[in-house]
Amino acid sequence: MNAIETLAGLPRATFEFANVILTIPDAAIGQTPRDVVWTHRGTTLYRYRSSRREHAIPVLLVFALINRPEIFDLRRGSSFVEFLLTEGFDVFLVDWGIPDEEDSEMGLAEFVCDELHWAVRETLRACGEEELSLLGWCIGGTLCAIYCALHPTGAVRNAVLLTTPIDPSGSLYARWVGHDEFDVDLVAERYRAVPGTGIDWANKLMKPVTNYTTTYRRLFQSILDGGDPRLSYQAMAKWVGDTPPFPSRAYREWITWLYKENRLVAGRVRLRSDRVDLARIEQNLLVVTAGADHIAPPEGTVPLLDLVSSEDVTHLDRPGGHIGLMAGSKAKHEIWPELADWLRDRSGH
Amino acid sequence: MAGASTDRPDTQVRELYEQAESRTAQAFEELVSKPSFGVLLARSAENVAAIARIGSDFADLVLRNLRLAGRADVTRLARQLHGTEDKLERLLQEVEKLRDELARGASANGTSADGSPGAAADALPRRTREPS
Repeated sequence: MNAIETLAGLPRATFEFANVILTIPDAAIGQTPRDVVWTHRGTTLYRYRSSRREHAIPVLLVFALINRPEIFDLRRGSSFVEFLLTEGFDVFLVDWGIPDEEDSEMGLAEFVCDELHWAVRETLRACGEEELSLLGWCIGGTLCAIYCALHPTGAVRNAVLLTTPIDPSGSLYARWVGHDEFDVDLVAERYRAVPGTGIDWANKLMKPVTNYTTTYRRLFQSILDGGDPRLSYQAMAKWVGDTPPFPSRAYREWITWLYKENRLVAGRVRLRSDRVDLARIEQNLLVVTAGADHIAPPEGTVPLLDLVSSEDVTHLDRPGGHIGLMAGSKAKHEIWPELADWLRDRSGH
Repeated sequence: MAGASTDRPDTQVRELYEQAESRTAQAFEELVSKPSFGVLLARSAENVAAIARIGSDFADLVLRNLRLAGRADVTRLARQLHGTEDKLERLLQEVEKLRDELARGASANGTSADGSPGAAADALPRRTREPS
């Protein structure tokens, strides 16, 4: 394309760009058919429909308390859920819902000891099995790790932790919220449900130019070059923009216990009087880190590998970012098959 | 041919822009990683939280004086409902546990909890709902 053609294509590209941006809310995400198995408060347990369940042990997907779990099922042809179903897994998903002020008393104990524990129970009841695989991503991974530590001989046979903060003391977040100047109690008390938009804004501020300029420039350039990035861009943009509030108690505990006091690796987190000792994790463990992850950098996850008692421990360190690792264009051909292979070998009777 | 392509003015402009953007991105990332930026962010978060709370409390006060339910009232009611739901969930789990025990006992005897042979195997699944 020469300079004149580029100039001639500018009006079309501008209109197309505007249309892509303006119609983001219309993008269809989370489209794989599923059934509601169980609900409690805002939490819902889904089971994805499948006609080819080949592996006995079901997979329970657990996402973070920020953003929505639709990232597991972004769009047709690019959905991790769809991939797992094709691979013959029985897939469940726990959705924390959209908390509001009335959920301000929900702390990490409520999420792990009630909601996650009961979701595990309901998953087993629904499929008639006695064990399952837990797959947690980001904060969801931390919740799964805590759960495994509290129930080392429980129903979890395999635990997969994706880009999971365990020792975030060296992270940029710790520099932002770990110091005394950041009064997390004040923020938690005044908000009751910490707005997701604020957390999203902070996430984007970690790479301000990339998130606020480069993304849009690349989209425009792709359209100008004759590409069709509509589907992929809109699905991701819709997911990124859907940010539910963070219950204030859980927020306070998350920031204080992990970023201010780094209690998890030191074994000083207590949930309902039970000490969370990561050394008690005995499940088969797969830890996945992303080399370019600025939210949960690998060095904040790998300490877990030395702490756990599991005999079967695998660590995959792959190129990619916090979300791009699992939801990027290469994930389908790179990390997803690796996860499926690992699970397949450990999902038989 | 490749050399001719990179010599074109539009390609050069694009490359220059990308270089500038990349350098700016790096500079901003260094800026936000400074402790002083963290302090600034902390103060901003506290100020915004305080303003939001004052606005919310004021709006609630206005609504309450108009004898209308405000956010605080709705939240209080929702919490009461949550408490009831928690109790019901725990009760349901106990009932299911007992039902499973009965089913297991009955199946060991070759009958079902309700007395009909073979029905014990149907006792486990429950509450699968219609698609959302």
